[in-house]
Amino acid sequence: MIATDGLTKIYGSTRALTDLTMDVRKGEVYGLLGPNGSGKTTTIRLLLGLLRPTSGRATVAGFDVWRQSLEVRSLVSYLPGELRLIGSMSGLGLLKFLSSLRGGVGLDRAVAIAERVMRLDLRRKVRTFSTGMKQKLALAQAFADPVEILILDEPTSALDPSARADVLQLVTEARDAGQTVIFSGHVLSEVEQVSDRVAIMRRGRLMHVEDMHDRRGLRMVLVRYDGPPPESIPEELGLGLRNRQGGVDLLEHRGEVGPLLGWLQANRVVDLAVGTEDLKTLYDKFHGPDAPDADDEVIPE
Amino acid sequence: MKVVFTLVRKNLLESRWLLLICSAALFGLCWLFVYVAHRIEAAIGEATGGGRSPVGMLRGLGGSSMDFSTAAIEMAFWNHPFVLLIFSIWAIARGSIAVAGEIEKGTMDLVLSRPVDRSAFLASQVITAVLGLALMAGAMLVGNVIGSRYHTLIAPASAATLAKPALNLMAFGWAIFGYTFVLSTLDIARWRPNLIGSVATLAGFIALVLANIPQLEVEWLARFSIFKAYDPVEVVVKGESLAFNAGVLGLIGLVGVGLGFVLFARRDLPAGS
Repeated sequence: MIATDGLTKIYGSTRALTDLTMDVRKGEVYGLLGPNGSGKTTTIRLLLGLLRPTSGRATVAGFDVWRQSLEVRSLVSYLPGELRLIGSMSGLGLLKFLSSLRGGVGLDRAVAIAERVMRLDLRRKVRTFSTGMKQKLALAQAFADPVEILILDEPTSALDPSARADVLQLVTEARDAGQTVIFSGHVLSEVEQVSDRVAIMRRGRLMHVEDMHDRRGLRMVLVRYDGPPPESIPEELGLGLRNRQGGVDLLEHRGEVGPLLGWLQANRVVDLAVGTEDLKTLYDKFHGPDAPDADDEVIPE
Repeated sequence: MKVVFTLVRKNLLESRWLLLICSAALFGLCWLFVYVAHRIEAAIGEATGGGRSPVGMLRGLGGSSMDFSTAAIEMAFWNHPFVLLIFSIWAIARGSIAVAGEIEKGTMDLVLSRPVDRSAFLASQVITAVLGLALMAGAMLVGNVIGSRYHTLIAPASAATLAKPALNLMAFGWAIFGYTFVLSTLDIARWRPNLIGSVATLAGFIALVLANIPQLEVEWLARFSIFKAYDPVEVVVKGESLAFNAGVLGLIGLVGVGLGFVLFARRDLPAGS
C-alpha cells in the first residue's frame, strides 16, 4: 500500500532522512518509533507530498507521493503531531470546513465521533478548547474520513488515559475495517498494543522493523541448571541463547511449548522463570544508554 | 472550485474584522471628503461672487493643476495618506499571510493534508485579497455617492466616473499584494514578507516624494514608485493615464502572483515554526 525506495531528504547540510526503504501492507497498523529528530515526521510529510524528496521515491497505492500528491491525499487522512486548528471556528464549523475540503463526505460520522466518543461540545469555539479537546476534535475528523490510509502523528500526546484508550480502540476498529494505519508515537506501550509491525528509526535511518505478531509469540526463559549449562541449544525447538552467566541462561523461545518442556526436563533444570519481553527492550537496543553510536548500524528485519 | 470557495470563505471569516473596519472607515472617510468638498466649493463660490462655477476661470489661470471641478476636489481626497495606508495594510497583510502566515499558524497542514491542490489553495488567497480590495474600493465609491446626496455639490462625480479611480486604487493594492505575496510563498515566517513588503512600499512613497522636489533633480526616481501610477484626480479629469497606470500596476501584481504560483508548487512545506 505504501512503499518507499531509498527515500532521502536533505535540508542544506542536515540529513533529515537517509535511504529509507520500507513497505507498509494494506490493512496493517504500522508503528513508527524513534525519538525527536529521528525522521518520523519527515517521513510522514514526504508521504503526504508536503516535502519533496531529495532522492529516492515513495508511492501510496501506486501514486507517486510528489508528482501525484493530490491523488495520494485523497486516499489519506492525516493527524499532525503539532496540531493547530482555526480558533475562530466552532467545533462543528471546523468539522464542516474540513469535510468540505474532501467533498463534504464524512461529516455525520465526524460529528458522531466527536460528540459520542470524544464527548465534545461542538457549539463552542475551537479557541476555547483545551489542547486535549482540540486533539480529540482532529481525531474525530481523521477517523471519520472515508479513506484507505490513516496517518496519525503522536495521536495521543495530549489525551487523558480514557481518551487514549478510545483512540487505540478506534485504531483497532480502523484496521478491522480494512484501513491501513501509520501510527507514530513515543508511548511504547500504545504502539506495542495496536501495531502489527513496528519500525524503529534513528537519526533519519530505519534501524529495524519488528513483526509484533512474532514478538507476541516470544517467550523469555530464564533457566538455572544443576551443574554446567548444555553446550548447545537446539534451535529446532525455536530456542535461542540471549545471555549466559555461569549456570544461568536467558533463552528466547518461539514455537510450541511441549518440546521445550521436554528439553528442559532432560537438562537438569533446577529453577525456571518464563516471561515476555516488552517493546522497550527492543527499543533500547537502538536508543538506550548502551545503544551503539555508529549511524550506519542497521539491523535487518 | 468548491474547495476554492470553501477556502475563500475561511479566509474572509478570519480577516472579517480588519476588512469590515477598513471598509467602514473608508466609507465614512469618503462621506466626510464629500462634505469637505461641499464646503470648499461653497468657499470658492463666495470668493468669486457666487452664482457661477469658477472652474473654467481657474483652469484658464493654472491649467489642470488649478482644476477645481467637483470631481477633482473629491478625488484629491482619494490621495489622502490614510486611504493609501489602508489599502497598503490590507495588501501587505493578505500577501504575507498567504503562505508564510498559514505555515506559521500551522493551518497550512490542516488544509494541504487534505485533497486540496496547491494552486487551489493559492487561488483562494488571491481571490480573498482581490475581494477585499474590491470591497474597500466599493466602500469608497458608495461613500462618495451617498455623501453627495446629502451634501450639495456643483457637479458630483457619477458612480461610473468614480469607478475609474476605484479601479486605479484596486490596481495599486494589487501591485503591493503581488510583491508581498511572492515573498510569502518563499518563507515560513510572516514577519519577513510583512517587513520587506512594508519597506518596499514605503521606499516607493519616499521615491515619489524625492522626485517631486525640483531642487534635487531626481525626477527619474518616480519611475520606481508605484505611487506614481495612482493618480485619481487625473483619472477623473482627463482619464488618459488610467489604462497605462492600471496596466503597469496590474502587471506588477500579476508577475508577483504568477511567480508565487510557480515557486509554491515546487517548495517544501515544513511543519509550522
